[in-house]
Amino acid sequence: MAQSEERLAYLLVAPTFLIVVGLVVFPAFFNVWISTHRIGLDNLNEVFRAPFVGLDNYGRAVRDYAFLDALKTTLLYSFSATAVTTLAGLAVGLLLNNSFRGRGAARALFLIPYVAPLISVAYVWKWLLDPTVRGVLNWILLRLGLIAQPVSWLGTGGLALSIVILFEGWRYCPFAMLMILAQLQAIDTTLYEAAAVDGASAPRRFWSITLPELRVVLGTVFLIRLMWTFNKFDDIFLLTGGGFGTRVLPILTYEFSFRLFDFGEGSATAMILVLILSGFMVVYIRKVLRW
Amino acid sequence: MVNGVRLRPGRVLFWLVLIALLFSAAFPFYWMISSSMKNLMELSGRDPVFFPSRIHLDAYRLLFRELGFGRNLANTAVVAATTALLAVLFASLGAYAVARLRFRGRNLLLNLVLMVYLFPGVLLVIPLFAMLVRIGGALSIEVQDNLGVLILTYLAQTLPVALYMLAGYFRTVPEEIEQAALIDGCSRRQVITRITFPLSVPAMVSVTVYTFMIGWNEFLYAFIFLNRRENFTLPIKLLSISEQLNTRWDVVMAASTVMTVPIVVLYLVFQRFLEKGLVAGGVKA
Repeated sequence: MAQSEERLAYLLVAPTFLIVVGLVVFPAFFNVWISTHRIGLDNLNEVFRAPFVGLDNYGRAVRDYAFLDALKTTLLYSFSATAVTTLAGLAVGLLLNNSFRGRGAARALFLIPYVAPLISVAYVWKWLLDPTVRGVLNWILLRLGLIAQPVSWLGTGGLALSIVILFEGWRYCPFAMLMILAQLQAIDTTLYEAAAVDGASAPRRFWSITLPELRVVLGTVFLIRLMWTFNKFDDIFLLTGGGFGTRVLPILTYEFSFRLFDFGEGSATAMILVLILSGFMVVYIRKVLRW
Repeated sequence: MVNGVRLRPGRVLFWLVLIALLFSAAFPFYWMISSSMKNLMELSGRDPVFFPSRIHLDAYRLLFRELGFGRNLANTAVVAATTALLAVLFASLGAYAVARLRFRGRNLLLNLVLMVYLFPGVLLVIPLFAMLVRIGGALSIEVQDNLGVLILTYLAQTLPVALYMLAGYFRTVPEEIEQAALIDGCSRRQVITRITFPLSVPAMVSVTVYTFMIGWNEFLYAFIFLNRRENFTLPIKLLSISEQLNTRWDVVMAASTVMTVPIVVLYLVFQRFLEKGLVAGGVKA
């Protein structure tokens, strides 16, 4: 019985196992190999005979003029975007934790930016931020007299990164909101009643009851989003193409590999990305995940 | 009612903040749909036009009649639906084993799944590309522009999360029911197909919809693997349209609308199931 169960189990996990090993685990190790070899378009068809170059790709990647900037941009971008996402999610979660008419509809509406296809919303944003007077944001700010001439929001160093961070907050705060709201609704209401009887003010109740109860979920949301923002490629690629001070490491990886066709250097950059990421992962697995 | 008087300004503030936030969530979508129906005058005037004078469908006509958008829509639907069905099938089988059966290597599998769940797609795209080009060369299969290969890579991305979500759900099916059926003479296979799976339909629906959405929206792999216009999925088609006609915002917005509406409708229909999955699985996007 136990033996036949074991056989059945292997049969059941086989398809998933094969696909994951073949298309994720093997490529992941293969990437380590690529990062220590010289591979370009010329020898892509014979990768296994590519010359071994040791850590040369890493050295070239790190010394590239764009690398240090990309590393700094990645850290700044992922931490600020995650903070904005989490805080916005907390704000919306707290709002939706009140009971009011139309709460279900409001909650559904808030989630749409998160479920809508990335590329569509990226293009809408690009058009709303059009650098001419026709751009809605420019038009409004000009009307209000807050700016004297149209601003190129996605085409100005510094500004572009802030806009991308705002975009991340707008798009991903619903995810944070869902997790936070689920936790808010699980808080024992007698805690609030007792505090109210003791005369605690609303802000006081928030600091002493709500926040401590949310600590774990806030940490979880922050870490998950941090990891996913850290290796995000498409959002920035579609909004700015990686220009104007928004070139993060994933963009640099892409440029090395698919613009310069230096796959070795691209892989090395990706490896550096993963090394940093695995630091976050260790924290996540230790602190958050329990299977 | 001292309390009531004190609450009222708070209530006004609450509604103001709520409406402002709802507006910022919804306005881009209004702008997308309304812009897809504007005429060229309205698009190229000095001021932005917030309400199109009447509904112009020229952009949609151009999209489907001249730009072959229908073909790309069909590609995307096929890729997303195949990914979703295969993912839910394979993940259900695997998840059952993980949730209920004892076997050697179970923890190894779980760790593997976890690793993938947190792994960046950017890291995998280079080795996958090099590997698949090599394999394709050896077997003389065209790897690029092959939607089947694309589906395989999407499966690799979605199976771990799907398995994670489903295993969590299967554990909530009371084990006593399964034990009772086993004692009554059902085989393990019968238990799975007649008890556990039927009881888990909500979770399976949520995983199907979720993986469908991933397949529908995926950008990076499609961008690397697809070269020919007729094979493009919608995200890549949208990119190429915007490069080709970068002044025709009505066309770009029409394409965005066609791409967004089915996903949002799908989400609204299955909202309840999906939100549970989102919270339980911390779903990746």
